[in-house]
Amino acid sequence: MNQNLFASFNMPMILGIPLVALFILFPTMLIMPSNNLNNNRSSSIQQWLIQLMLKQMMTNHTIKGRTWSLMLLTLITFITLNNLLGVMPYAFTPTTQLSLNLGMAIPLWMATVLMGLRFKTKATLAHLLPQGTPIPLIPMLIIIETISLFIQPVALAVRLTANITAGHLLMHLLGDTTLILLSTYLSSSVITVIVIILLITLELGVALIQAYVFTLLVSLYLHNNS
Amino acid sequence: MLSRIVLSAAATAAPSLKNAAFLGPGVLQTTRTFHTGQPHLAPVPPLPEYGGKVRHGLIPEEFFQYLYPKTGVTGPYVLGAGLILYALSKEIYVITGETVTGLVTIGIYIFGIKKFGPSVAAFADKLNENNIALTMEVSYRQRLHMVYKEVKNRLDYHISVQNMMRRKEQEHMINWVEKHVVQSISAQQEKETIAKCIADLKLLAKKAQAQPVM
Repeated sequence: MNQNLFASFNMPMILGIPLVALFILFPTMLIMPSNNLNNNRSSSIQQWLIQLMLKQMMTNHTIKGRTWSLMLLTLITFITLNNLLGVMPYAFTPTTQLSLNLGMAIPLWMATVLMGLRFKTKATLAHLLPQGTPIPLIPMLIIIETISLFIQPVALAVRLTANITAGHLLMHLLGDTTLILLSTYLSSSVITVIVIILLITLELGVALIQAYVFTLLVSLYLHNNS
Repeated sequence: MLSRIVLSAAATAAPSLKNAAFLGPGVLQTTRTFHTGQPHLAPVPPLPEYGGKVRHGLIPEEFFQYLYPKTGVTGPYVLGAGLILYALSKEIYVITGETVTGLVTIGIYIFGIKKFGPSVAAFADKLNENNIALTMEVSYRQRLHMVYKEVKNRLDYHISVQNMMRRKEQEHMINWVEKHVVQSISAQQEKETIAKCIADLKLLAKKAQAQPVM
C-alpha cells in the first residue's frame, strides 16, 4: 500500500526538484509533424485524427472564430494525450491538478468574454437576459446570468479535474481491494478484477470525452462571442 | 523531400543560417542544411520497409540471437524470470494495489492491440495509398531539376571563362593600340597639330559671331 491513497497525485520529484515540466512536455514528443506525402502508420493516423478534429470543431465558426483553430486543436490534443497517458500504471496525470486546469480554463474563457465585449458589446450584454422573461423577474435574472457567466471557467476546470481524479482514485481503491481480497475471499477478488476491467474501459472513454467537452465548451463560448 | 530544394536554395542564399542552431527547434528544422556534400554513389540502398523484428512486442530478436550460443533457446527467458523473481523477493518492486491495476491495464492494452491492430494498420495503409504515385512523380521531377541545374552550372562556367578571355583580349589590344599611337606622336607633330587646332577654332568663332542667336 502506498503512503496514502493520494500519493499518486503528488508531484514526482527527483532530489527535491519537481518534474512537472517534463510531464507536461512529454506528450508533445508523441506528435510528429512531417512534410511527406507518405508517412509511417502512426504519423498518417495522427494526421487523419487532427484533420477530423479540425473539421468537426471549426466548421461552425465565423472567420474571426477560426483564428482560434490552432489554439483549440492544441487544447484537445494536449488534454487527450495527458488523460490517456495517465491511465498507464504508475503514471502521473497533470490534468488531475486543479492548477493546470484553471490555468487552461480561465485565460481561454476570459479571452472569449473580452472578445465579445470588445467587438459585439451590445449582443454580449444582451445575452445576459434570456428572451421572453416576464418583466418583474428581470433584475434577478440578470444577476443569475452574471453569476453563471462567472462560474463558467471554474466549472470547466473543476469538471475536468474531478472526472479524471475520480477515475484514478477508483482505480487505486479497487486495486487495493483486489489485493487484499486475494488472500481472503478469492472469488470476490475475481469480481473486483472484472469491475476494474470495466472501469479502465470507462476511464479511457472518459479521458477522450473530457478533452472533447472542454474544447467544445471553449469553442461554444467563442462562437457566442465572436 | 520538397524541403531539400528549399534548403539548398536557402543555403546558397544565406550561408550564415547554417550556424543558427540556437534559434529553436522549429527554425532549426528549416535552416538545418542537409546533403551539402557530394552525393553518395548511386544507386542508394533503399530504406527498409519493416522495422527490426521484436519478440513479444518488447525485446529485439538480436538479444535472443546474442544469448543463443551460450545459453540456448531458454536462456533469455530464464534470465528474465530470474530478474523478476530477484526484484520481487528483495522487495525492489513491491506488489501493491497499483500492481493489480497495472496488470489489468496492460492486459486490456494487449487485448485491444491483438484485436484491433491489423484493422487499424490496414486503415493507416489505405490513407497512404493514393499518394504513392504523386510522391514518385515529385521525386522524379526533383531529380530532373537537380540534373538540369548541375548541367547548367557546368555550361555557365565555360561561357563565363570564354567571356572573360574575350574581354581580356579586347582590353589588352586597346591598351596596346593606345600606347603605340601615343608613342608615335612626336613632339613636333604635337605643336603643329595644336597650332592648327587654334587657327581652326578662331575661324569658327568668327563664323559663329556672324550668325544670329536662336
